[in-house]
Formats: sequence, structure tokens, C-alpha cells
Amino acid sequence: MTLTEEKIRELTLKAIHDLGAKATPTLVKEYIERELANADNGIRSNNSTGTSNRVILTSFGVNNTGIVSAITKILSDTGCDLLDISQKIMQEFYTLIMIVDISNMTKDLKELQDLMNTIATQLKIKIYLQHEDVFRFMHRI
Amino acid sequence: MPYEFEEILETIKMTEIEHFDIRTVTLGISLRDCSDRNIAVTTQKIYEKITRYGQAHVSLAQEVERKYGISIANKRVSVTPIAIAGDAFGIDEFVKIAETLDKAAGEIGIDYLAGYSALVQKGFTNGDLNLIKSIPSALSLTKKVCSSVNIASTKAGINMDAINMMADVIKETAYLTREKDSIGCAKLVVFCNAVEDNPFVAGAFHGVTEPEVVLNVGISGPGVVLKAIKSAGMVDFQSLAEVIKKTIFKITRAGELIGRKVAEKHGIPFGIVDISLAPTPAEGDSIADILIAMGIEDVGAPGTTAALAMLNDCVKKAGLMASTSVGGMSGAFIPVSEDQGMIRAAQKGNLSLEKLEAMTSVCSVGLDMVAVPGDTPTDTLAGIIADEAAIGVINDKTTAVRIIPAYGKGVGDFVDYGGLLGKAPIMTVRRLSSTDFVKRGGRIPAPMRSLTN
Repeated sequence: MTLTEEKIRELTLKAIHDLGAKATPTLVKEYIERELANADNGIRSNNSTGTSNRVILTSFGVNNTGIVSAITKILSDTGCDLLDISQKIMQEFYTLIMIVDISNMTKDLKELQDLMNTIATQLKIKIYLQHEDVFRFMHRI
Repeated sequence: MPYEFEEILETIKMTEIEHFDIRTVTLGISLRDCSDRNIAVTTQKIYEKITRYGQAHVSLAQEVERKYGISIANKRVSVTPIAIAGDAFGIDEFVKIAETLDKAAGEIGIDYLAGYSALVQKGFTNGDLNLIKSIPSALSLTKKVCSSVNIASTKAGINMDAINMMADVIKETAYLTREKDSIGCAKLVVFCNAVEDNPFVAGAFHGVTEPEVVLNVGISGPGVVLKAIKSAGMVDFQSLAEVIKKTIFKITRAGELIGRKVAEKHGIPFGIVDISLAPTPAEGDSIADILIAMGIEDVGAPGTTAALAMLNDCVKKAGLMASTSVGGMSGAFIPVSEDQGMIRAAQKGNLSLEKLEAMTSVCSVGLDMVAVPGDTPTDTLAGIIADEAAIGVINDKTTAVRIIPAYGKGVGDFVDYGGLLGKAPIMTVRRLSSTDFVKRGGRIPAPMRSLTN
């Protein structure tokens, strides 16, 4: 948590007022810690990019059996949680979009991408993984 | 689902098919604390500082690339203008600094390091003079170092002595790098009203008012804009402006996100997003193609300047809305060699140097990556630079000249560098003399700022 100078000044004045002559280093420390814990967690930079633990998996290609099962098998093997799934099929082509929670993922994103690339090559389809932030930044104000 | 199917597909299409990428993440590093009386100490300080701040630059950028699935084409570093950091040195010592910069750039694995620069719009210090004289050797002995010299500004006027010197420097650089199609000139920019936070090479430098270290981002997505204009079809200009702005807005948002994330990983302040549309030699990733999609037959046709002006303005409007800190050039780049459509137009003779000059009065930079015959007289080069500087000074905008008088080549030939620098046909230059004009020397006074008709 970063504090602005203004906030620090405000806290100091408050501590002086409340503790007055009783102030000892220990008391002041406790007081400040309590105040910080109580403080509204609203000190945020307006420029904060925020971040989520979700990735969006997009896959498309010629429809075939076993595509969803191959993808979801990797997801469950790596500790990913499938939050949402949506697909469209047009004649022999399909488009598949999944929203995946990677908070408890046992591998890193690069390894997951490599695993997906392996089955993408086997099944002759495309699989893209992109962090949700990109979509949020581009399409939500 | 929190996003529409179409929104997700649109983003995938931009990054996978339409060449949307982050052109550069540029780490700006101040070298003001590196000067010393002793050249060995100075070069050591410079080397240590660049490698210390820059060692993780490439790997951090790659991490962000993977996470967001958006590629970052170049990782670069810009430094304090070397004439400021090394003002006390002579020509040979400046060359040593250039070699140190090249070595440091190689060590941290970046694509380019820019800032071998001097700002002389009003006049020269001894260091400025020595640095300028050292540029041909510096550029011929290094691979990744880029150089720029600011010779004019709206506040100071046009330093004609500096222009004459730079014309000589360009010719000599062309000669010294003649084995490689005079590639040295592709890394040398002559500026008017240079900006201090530009992340794009060859003209980048870390301005003296910038912080110790900062991260700037340049985005690039002509392919995305081209696609959007094509699918909009035959609509009127207000509607077309809307289409362009919406597209630019989205890609700027992505640029802002990537920049902030890389800066966050570095633990350094995020500077600016340069929202310039920068083409690449890849097919479809072209500003010229955008202008053609807007309705002109080819670049150079009457209407080209108006089309470019509108595109440039839309880029600025949408980018400003999308990012908290827009800076740098932020317009549409029209380098000839780096844009398939521009190459084609120049080759066919549809695009002349004069029309290109007119276009630079409404684009983001200037005469960029233009190849001319190797026997173009120095005074003619000086005249071309002076014209471009005049456009910048009067219109209060950045203009630049990156011109390649390709040694031993003439109209009909090509210079070919490959990669992002691309290839350029040699363009015709008028054979009328500018000698008696440019040889007057001195400084063209700064213009007045009212009664601007």
C-alpha cells in the first residue's frame, strides 16, 4: 500500500491529537497500524491497471470429435478452473471461447501455452491464450 | 460471459492476422551522472549504468508478450544526448563512447540504442561540434547505435550552419557505410522540434527533463486500421473518422496496458505511449494502403495530403482518449522503405519527393527513410533539410529528415536493408542548385506566432 504525503500528514496529526502526551514509540506504532488497517482501502492510483487471474482461451478450426475434451484435460491436469465456455459451429468450422481461472495453476502460462500448442498441432486447430486484461482494456472503459 | 463473442474474436484477429503489435518498449536511461574528465572512467560508468538498468529489459518484455499474447517487435534503450553527457570530449573520444554504447546494447540483447545526439538549434558547444563530426565514424563502427541532431525549433529558428554540417555528415556516413547500401544514414535523423520522450528510433533520446529511468511505449497497427476502413465501405468522412478513432482507441488501450505491465515488472515509472501508426515492410501493414483504402488511386494522387491529415488527426484524438499519458510523435509515420505501399508508389513514380514533403506537413514526422542518388550535392541535401525544418518551425510540429544518399547508386536502383528498415527505391531529386541560399549560413530567425496565415 502506498501512502501519499498528504495522507501521512493527516495520520500524524490524528495521532498527535488522540495520543497527546501519552505517546510512546510502541503506542504510536500500534496506533498507526490500527489506523492503517481501519483505513478505507481506497488509496489507489488512478493509473492502476488492476489485474485478474483469468485467461481467455480461443480455439478454432475444422470441427472434429475430442477437441473440447483434449483442451479441458490439459486444463484439469494443470489445476486450471474452467469458468465459462461458449462455442459456435458454422458448417464444418467451429469457434470456441473459454474463460479460465489460473489462480491455482501448477504450471506457468508459458508451459500451458506449450501444452496447448502440442494438441493444436495434433488436431490441426488453432488455440490462443491471452490474459483477460487485454480484452478488458480494449473493450471496457 | 463477460465479453461478447465478437469482441474476443476482434482482439484475436487484430493480434494474429492484422499484424497488431507493440512496436517498441523503450527504456530511457539518464547518463547525466556518467561524465568524468577521464574517457575510460566515463565509458565504464556508461557501460555499467546501461547494463545495470537494462539487463532484464528483454526478458521482462518477453514475459509480458507471452502473458498477453501481443508481440513486442523491438526492445530498445534511449539515453541522454551524448553531447550533454560527454561535452568535454574530442572526436575520437566520442567514437569510443559510441563503441561502448554498442557493446552495452549487445550485452543486454536489445535491438537498438538511441541517443548519440546533440541539440544545436540555437548554437553549438565544443562538445556538440565534436559529437557531430564524430557521427560518420561512430555510425560506421557500430551496429545498434542510432544518432540524431536537432537543428531547428519554433522557439530558436533554424540553425543553417548546423544544417550544412549535417549535410556533410550524411554524405560522409553514406560513404563510410557504402558496403552496406549506406546503412549508416538509416540510423541518423536530423530533427526540428525534437521531442524528449520519443520511443521510436532512430530519433529517440532521453531528454534532459526526463527522470532517471523511464519506460516509453510505441504501438503499431496500420493493418488493423486498414481492415477497419475496408470493412466500413463507402461512408462519408464523419463516419470514416469514427471508424478510425474506434480502432485506434482499442489498440492504444492495449499499448497502455503492455507499457504499464513492463514498467511494473521493471519497478520503474511508466512514461508515455506514442500512439503513432508505424508501418512495417510486411504486406498489409502499410500507411499507404490505408490512404488508398480511403479512396485515392495511389499515394501521390491529389487528395493524398488531405487523407493523411485526417488519418493523423483521428490517431491523435482517439489515442488521447485511450491513454493517460500520450507523448512522443503520436501521428502517422510515412517512411518510404518501411512501407510496401510507399515503396510501390515511389517505384512507379507516382510519389515524388515534393509530394512527400507536402505530406510531411500533416504527418507525424517528416522525410523518413528516403533514398536519393549518391551523387546528390551536399548543398541540395542541406536545402531539403532546411525545407523540412521550415515546415516544422512554422507549424510548431516535429519534422525530421532521414535521407540516404546511397553511395554509387542512382535512380532505378534500390537500397535493401531487410528487417524493419526495409528497402527503398532511389527517388529523383531536382537538379536545381540551392548553394547560394544554404551557404549564407547563420540562423533563420524564429517565426512570429500570431497573424498565422
